[in-house]
Amino acid sequence: MTNHLIIGQYVPGHSVIHRLDPRAKLLIVFAYVLIVFLANNAATYALLSLFALAFAALSRIPFSFIARGLKPILWVVLFTLLLHLFMTKEGDVIYQIGALSVYEGGIKQGIFISLRFLLLVLMTTMLTLTTTPIEVTDGVESLLGPLKKMRVPVHELALMMAISLRFIPTLMEETEKIMKAQAARGVDFSGGRFSERMKAIVSLLVPLFISSFKRADELATAMEARGYRGGEGRTKFRQLAWKPVDTVFLAAVALLAALLCLLRS
Amino acid sequence: MAEPILSIEGVSFRYPNQSDYAVQNVSFTAERGEWLAIVGHNGSGKSTIARMLIGLLRPERGAIRLFGRLLNDATVWEVRRRVGLVFQNPDNQFVGATVEDDIAFALENNGIPRSEMVERIREAIRQVHMEPFLHYEPHRLSGGQKQRVAIAGILALRPDMIILDEATSMLDPRGREEVLETVRRLNRQQRITVLSITHDLEEAAKADRLIVMNKGEVMAEGTPEQIFRLGSKLERIGLDLPFAVKMGSRLREQGIPLRAGYFTTEELVEELWTLYSKK
Repeated sequence: MTNHLIIGQYVPGHSVIHRLDPRAKLLIVFAYVLIVFLANNAATYALLSLFALAFAALSRIPFSFIARGLKPILWVVLFTLLLHLFMTKEGDVIYQIGALSVYEGGIKQGIFISLRFLLLVLMTTMLTLTTTPIEVTDGVESLLGPLKKMRVPVHELALMMAISLRFIPTLMEETEKIMKAQAARGVDFSGGRFSERMKAIVSLLVPLFISSFKRADELATAMEARGYRGGEGRTKFRQLAWKPVDTVFLAAVALLAALLCLLRS
Repeated sequence: MAEPILSIEGVSFRYPNQSDYAVQNVSFTAERGEWLAIVGHNGSGKSTIARMLIGLLRPERGAIRLFGRLLNDATVWEVRRRVGLVFQNPDNQFVGATVEDDIAFALENNGIPRSEMVERIREAIRQVHMEPFLHYEPHRLSGGQKQRVAIAGILALRPDMIILDEATSMLDPRGREEVLETVRRLNRQQRITVLSITHDLEEAAKADRLIVMNKGEVMAEGTPEQIFRLGSKLERIGLDLPFAVKMGSRLREQGIPLRAGYFTTEELVEELWTLYSKK
């Protein structure tokens, strides 16, 4: 279904980026997403692109794979580009087609904004491509740890996230099974008018919901039977280890931010 | 006689908003190291008993004693550490993202330090012969393998007793044999008490002792030999006698002089091919 959309997928590997602490990766990407907005001229955008490309190169994931995955969002990028091309009226007129005129500022703005968008997607995709969902969960739980003092149920939220991730394949399998069972009973999922297809989907969703509730109930019972009683007094098996290389990468982002501040006009 | 590891005295239970008792005035005991099977048709109350034993449900009347202590709010967490329950659906009891995470789950709940966890997980996974799968996600495992992971999760807590609540009923024959073989080994080698709750008499035949439940009450109790002698009485409450037992009694009806008693499939074959040469 989603084989050409790689956003959210994990590609196993042992590169430096893969081995970074998930907390470091989350912080890097989060910081990057913020400092992207500092860029406003060619030099700063070049710097940002260089960083993102170096990050992607270090992950050892083939560029062709990443490029293929980014293809679906190219339309959005193109749309952004065109929108700015025609809507920004700054600088000299460069080209004129009928009532539409393309300004120099439009070209610049169009390229910058679409590049910004591309970089944002590239960096966030790099996070999910090199980090397993459970690592992301661990990282989020650890980073949000201080919020526990403000009574935010961080442990519960992380456990919820981990369990939903764990059940995605199970529910996919179930969906497939129900689809086949309903198809065997004459439900047509692929053809027909829109209203008919919606009806077909209802015949899929109802059993799926019912069984999910049943699963949730059984899972809760099993968790209780295994001594689960909330986050209090619980130890953790998964451990995150902050290594010097994580600090190096964070420092690199800090440096990047500083350079952007210097170079922006 | 040694102190029983588990004793239930006059336990009754009713689900909320129901007038009929799911379990009525049930009493029995289990010895340390024993393999006890509770058999019964759907709705006979056998799973309700399993849930009461680890404090998931509370009996309306009667007392449950485990390890010589009354089961109550103060002891329930210790009981859940020492008694492991394997449920029917392999998927709906797998909490962790991978095999090792799942085995760690109960250890985490009990506040075991991380350094000891690693050791205990390694030990538990070895006991269920699942070492190569330590980093596997659940959807890459078969049903039988998932149940063995569930057992490993219990073993990591170093339990005194394992309850199998229809734990093999959703498995294919091979998965079922894997799981039963694992539990049998643990029962023999480590003297872990096993309480197997099942409607499969074939499985129950391997127990030391059987308790037959019907409509929430204990109908019979005894060794497999004694229980299978009940014959059609078992069939009347919806239980299916093992093939070898049925075959044995049919052959006897036909006048074939088989020795008395019940048979496993292997024993029946042995008896048949030596029938004439023995004389």
